[in-house]
Amino acid sequence: MSRIVPEDPVSVPSPSVTTAAARAVDVTKVYGQGDTAVHALAGVSVDFLRGQYAAIMGPSGSGKSTLLHCLAGLDRVSSGQVFLGDDEISAMNEKELTLVRRDKIGFVFQAYNLVPTLTGLENISLPLALAGRSPDPEWLDRILTTVNLADRVGHRPNELSGGQQQRVAVARALVSRPEVIFADEPTGNLDSRSGAEILGFMRDAVRELGQTIVMVTHDPVAASYADRVVFLADGKIVDELAGPTVDSVMDRMRRLGD
Amino acid sequence: MWRVTLRGLVAKKFRLALSSLSIALGVAFMAGTFVLTDTLGGVFDGLFTNTTQGVDAVVRSKLPYEPTGGQVSRDQLRPPVPESLVDVVRDVDGVARAEGSLLGYALVIGSDGEALQGQAPTFGLPWYPRSDTVNQSSEIVKGRAPRAPDEVAFDIRTFEDGGFRVGGPARVSFQTVPPREFRVVGAFLFGGSKDGPVGATLSAFTPATAQEVMNRVGQWDLIEVRAADGVSQTELRDDLRAALRADGLAADFESITGQQLADEQADELKSNLSIFNTFLLVFALVALFVGAFVIYNTFSITVAQRIREIGLLRALGATGRQVNRAVVGESLVVGVLSSVIGIVLGIALVPLLQGLLAGFGIDLPGGPLVIATRTLVVSFLVGTVVTVVSSLAPARRAARVPPITALRDQALDPAANRRRYLWGAALWVVGAVILLAGLFGGASGGDSALLIGGGAFFAFIGVAMLSPLLAGPAARVLTWPARRRGRVTARLASENAERNPRRTASTASALMIGLTLVSMVAVLAASLKGSFTETIRGQSSADFVLSPKGFFPFSPAAAEQIREELPDATVVEYRIGVIQVGNDTVNVLGASPDFTEITDIGLRPGARRDAFARGGLYVEAPEAEARGLKVGDTVEVRFPDGPGRVTVQGIYAKELPPPFDPPFVLSLADWDRFPTAEDVSVSVLKGPGTTTREARRVVERAAAEVGGIDADDLASFIDRQIAQFDQLLNLVYVLLMLAVVIALVGIVNTLALSVYERTREIGLLRAVGMTRRQLRRMVRGEALIVSAFGALLGLVIGVVFGFLIVQSVSSEGITFALPVVQLVVFVVLAVLAGLVAGIPPARRAGRLDVLQAITSE
Repeated sequence: MSRIVPEDPVSVPSPSVTTAAARAVDVTKVYGQGDTAVHALAGVSVDFLRGQYAAIMGPSGSGKSTLLHCLAGLDRVSSGQVFLGDDEISAMNEKELTLVRRDKIGFVFQAYNLVPTLTGLENISLPLALAGRSPDPEWLDRILTTVNLADRVGHRPNELSGGQQQRVAVARALVSRPEVIFADEPTGNLDSRSGAEILGFMRDAVRELGQTIVMVTHDPVAASYADRVVFLADGKIVDELAGPTVDSVMDRMRRLGD
Repeated sequence: MWRVTLRGLVAKKFRLALSSLSIALGVAFMAGTFVLTDTLGGVFDGLFTNTTQGVDAVVRSKLPYEPTGGQVSRDQLRPPVPESLVDVVRDVDGVARAEGSLLGYALVIGSDGEALQGQAPTFGLPWYPRSDTVNQSSEIVKGRAPRAPDEVAFDIRTFEDGGFRVGGPARVSFQTVPPREFRVVGAFLFGGSKDGPVGATLSAFTPATAQEVMNRVGQWDLIEVRAADGVSQTELRDDLRAALRADGLAADFESITGQQLADEQADELKSNLSIFNTFLLVFALVALFVGAFVIYNTFSITVAQRIREIGLLRALGATGRQVNRAVVGESLVVGVLSSVIGIVLGIALVPLLQGLLAGFGIDLPGGPLVIATRTLVVSFLVGTVVTVVSSLAPARRAARVPPITALRDQALDPAANRRRYLWGAALWVVGAVILLAGLFGGASGGDSALLIGGGAFFAFIGVAMLSPLLAGPAARVLTWPARRRGRVTARLASENAERNPRRTASTASALMIGLTLVSMVAVLAASLKGSFTETIRGQSSADFVLSPKGFFPFSPAAAEQIREELPDATVVEYRIGVIQVGNDTVNVLGASPDFTEITDIGLRPGARRDAFARGGLYVEAPEAEARGLKVGDTVEVRFPDGPGRVTVQGIYAKELPPPFDPPFVLSLADWDRFPTAEDVSVSVLKGPGTTTREARRVVERAAAEVGGIDADDLASFIDRQIAQFDQLLNLVYVLLMLAVVIALVGIVNTLALSVYERTREIGLLRAVGMTRRQLRRMVRGEALIVSAFGALLGLVIGVVFGFLIVQSVSSEGITFALPVVQLVVFVVLAVLAGLVAGIPPARRAGRLDVLQAITSE
């Protein structure tokens, strides 16, 4: 049974020996049955290391979003195992998954990241509020400084620009010091300048705050911010690239397309 | 556009079902009411056709004047005819037979000693020994007809209910003669139905005995006539009229056909039925009004949800008119569907309605269901029209959606909101003015009820339009305790309620209407009860009070017996009659001359109590002033048996204690001018030489021996009266429940739609760690806010309405009372019900798949 009490990956070293923050072991995901079955994931095994900024890339329909959803406990695998740290989330029930998401995972989605009725600050502290806790003021301060939002957090989402909204989302993902932040096309709806800002913050979060981020993207520029890129095609991991640049990513993608 | 409309409807079956339900319930109530009263009307028609079977015409005294309605019936007012008239009638051409008939007070004491007194009257009648008697309404089904003075036959139901047997004894109580023992010789079926005339208890005696025991010695109520062969009813009647004219009797007597008599009797009952019908229809209309709010809400929300789709249709070239028609078309489908469902449901629920009324002591005779075309047409039209009208405003809003909305998120139009509030305020003011005019304008009964109802209608809509202004603050205040404890679900619930104050407010408004009416009724009831208790306590010094067990007055024999056994006690009888003063027909209270020794009516100095003992009137001060009467004046009046003069013996300043309200009190010394002498109440003040225990024993024995009477001391009399009142009150509450239930359906509907609308947001909340339980709590929290808001708003308005109504009748001695505990209970129950209404949408929200929810459009 998993422990649902949140750990602090920075100040309290994990007792576990593994350094993988998130791990998929021989994961398959099949939609439908028989002849019409679609193998979104066809046996994926991958580790995402602690303190690393990883990107998952692949053409449309390659299964990259499905992999992210399975890793984040939003979707169930058809077979195989998914671990968050040492906890096997593929064996958890709905309630346990919810608490894991609340306490150990941060999310940044492409759009509609924020609850429209809550202010920026309330959105940021939402996961903690749901757990009945209040944010550590020092940590909050540090996050707000990092994402450069201190003067806008009193506003509601509809009074914030798209870029500001995504920064609030990043801050929310950071607030509970999760084991992993999963980002699904976080810059997909932004202009390139705001997008670059967000990607910069996410990289800073990894470098300066010791976070772990797994990001799905189809944008080589976004992927170039990551420490490592995993390439998916037809539900399988087909390639991997460490220390990516825009050019090297584009090069690999082009080869995948062949 | 029709295809788009229908697709839209089919795609949202759940919404369709819920919003249809809200109208269908109201329509069902309406249709059920119609069917119920039509069925009763049918029963009455059949009944009186049966009870006048064989009677081709009757001869009777003319009604001296029309009674004022309510407390005194025509039959009680009509003088008897002399027995000698039977011979006159018999000699008229075309008459085959003529027999005197009467229907008088005869209370049967069952074999267990208990009087067979329900809410129906108890009648005695003569039984002619011949088989070719004029009135063929009854046939012996057991034993034989009474032939001797000490023999009696009962209708079969009374025979069975009383546990009688042929040859056994029976005791019957009368008005003018002491209770008497009879020998039961048979049982008969009356009017072809076991229920007899609406459940009345019937005892048949030989004609001479009937006259003797029912105060008709030498007299009959009327003469029943059979036509000779080949003479029609109308010919017979015309012959009888001609004969009466020829004999110079036409000024006092009249003749009508048997059919006319049956119609008259059925109409008299049916006029009560129409009051009953109106009473129930008012609740049906309230339910429909609440249903209209639910429909309005549903359409407003769905238009808002489909605003992009509508924008797209507009961008593709649909005109505003077409969009409008599509929405109205949708409501037409919903209206037609719910009306049809409602009518079917209503007919199916008639037995339930009957059962409900029976549960509150209103026993109605059953019969084959009468489903009139009117029922179908009116229910269908009302249901459909209400639905369509409720959708007009949302449809107009939809038509105004500009094409550009397809491409961008829509922003609220604050100017429209301001205009709406102005309209709301205007409607509210207009409603309030009409309402106040109805209450204090001095309009007559029906008109003022219409003004009050209409005013309340507009005021309700006005309040509903203004209430969005209050929704936000109310949500914050209501969730304040939970938010203070750091409950994020409370914060979210509050924000959800606030984000669309119009939706919250109109959902709450539906509940508000029900709660307004409930609290208003509670305030009125408390005020009436309080004032009733206070007046009785303040004005009456009676030790004991006798009152009828049913609705019908009882024999004066009880008072007589108490007088005999307690010679030093003051025993006061009260009766109700109708006389004419000048050209006005007025109710008078008949009272024993010494009644002022028990009841304080604020008799002014100069009153002639001694003279009142020999006859005369006491007049209420305002009435005396209006007519310019002073003590000693003689008033020309008309009694049932002809003109008379009475002297004003005193002027009194206080209202008569309830339930009496006539402005005239007539000394019982003058009561011989009335055809019946039944007491509606008797008060007893024991003398100094008797202990309370002795007095109680005498009073209770007299009540038991005469039968059908409750004997109480003053305190328990008040309790009993209040308990009776409470029974009616509870019926009103139960009927108002329907409006509350429909409002709850509205809450379920609105929340379900809101949950649907916020699917993505709910997905997000779940993704970042909101548990199902927290999510459910959030949705229920919103339900709680809506219901508490509606309930509190209704409470405040209801109390204000109640206060105003009490003020408008303050001259009747009714003072305002606030039933705090009861009102708190109502609000708490409404809020709890609202919480329950929140459960289904909360579960629905909880069951949403997280991934599907966040990736939904």
